Amino acid sequence: MTVLVLTCEEDLTADMVVATLNDRGVPLVRLDPADLPGRIDLSADYGGNGFHGYLKTDERMVSLGSLRSVWVRRPGTPGTRAAEPSAWLTLESEQALYGMLTATQARWMNHPAAAGQARYKPWQLHIAQQSGFTVPATLITSFPSVARQFAATHQDLVVKSVSGRHPGDPPMVLPTTRISPDADFSAVAAGPTLFQQHIRKQADIRLTCVDGQLFAARKEADPDEVDSRFTENAAWKPADVPDLIRRSVTAYMTTAQLAYGAFDFAEDRNGTWWFLECNQGGQFGFIQLDTDQPIAQAIATWLAADPLT
Amino acid sequence: MRPFALSYARPAVKSAAATPYTYDATRQLNVLPDGRPATSSRAVLLATGTTASTAGSKTHFDD
Repeated sequence: MTVLVLTCEEDLTADMVVATLNDRGVPLVRLDPADLPGRIDLSADYGGNGFHGYLKTDERMVSLGSLRSVWVRRPGTPGTRAAEPSAWLTLESEQALYGMLTATQARWMNHPAAAGQARYKPWQLHIAQQSGFTVPATLITSFPSVARQFAATHQDLVVKSVSGRHPGDPPMVLPTTRISPDADFSAVAAGPTLFQQHIRKQADIRLTCVDGQLFAARKEADPDEVDSRFTENAAWKPADVPDLIRRSVTAYMTTAQLAYGAFDFAEDRNGTWWFLECNQGGQFGFIQLDTDQPIAQAIATWLAADPLT
Repeated sequence: MRPFALSYARPAVKSAAATPYTYDATRQLNVLPDGRPATSSRAVLLATGTTASTAGSKTHFDD
């Protein structure tokens, strides 16, 4: 049985897991869906009582029936490296590839349907509340007057991207940014905007969940710092997971039907962990490098387990 | 009118670090010039920032 890894070639984080699987002698095929068609070919036929199919890369071929798991890491968009790319070709390629793969018995980290749902930050906040996390007051609105009222109520607030995606042309970054309650909110009418109560934190918490195994890491922070991804600061250290958080993570992962999730929290001076988001495909390499927590090994173990029956 | 949040966007800083590794399709991972897996070098991992929490931001939105 084979593990299928969907990611781009330059993904060193995936390498950490691939190397572990190689060491354990677990067969795997790694490919980037961006190479379909071109360097990747596929075929499936639906005759009789089932279907039979396979994927072929430059180096390997794998039967769809022999897949034990699929790891969706950092896959490119199907069709984008074709000789004549187009939106239609991307759709055709995406439908063919993922349509076949989701019909197999393979286990997914994470299933595309669950991943798609889990990317919606407004949904994340709702599920986080239901799961018992402490969630900062948050507003998503396109009404300037509502934004002004929220700012007047909370005074200390931040703005962040709803999608988590950075503006792309030209390349820009949009860190979570602290804003003045007296800001001019009229431009809120130009697009839905996410405002959140600013949590003055004493530490950032990154909690990586691999099918029930929790790896928490803590990094001390300046209370005035907002988005630690864009600052040079302290190293991550392993942290204990409070029982309340452990139960909430379990509830969240169950509701979201995720095998993997990377949670971000802000720890305030009282020690409360405030839920910020859960990235269903969040990076873990930087945590493992600092803490030596065996996250890649846990993922490899999950991927190498037997498929669904 | 420009969306409110974009007022706080700033130009992305392109990493100046070269990537001292290449993808080995046979082994299905990136290797250093001496043939060792790139992940065997902590210095490479730290210098290239490819495992960092912003590593996926350019093409993905799962950091």
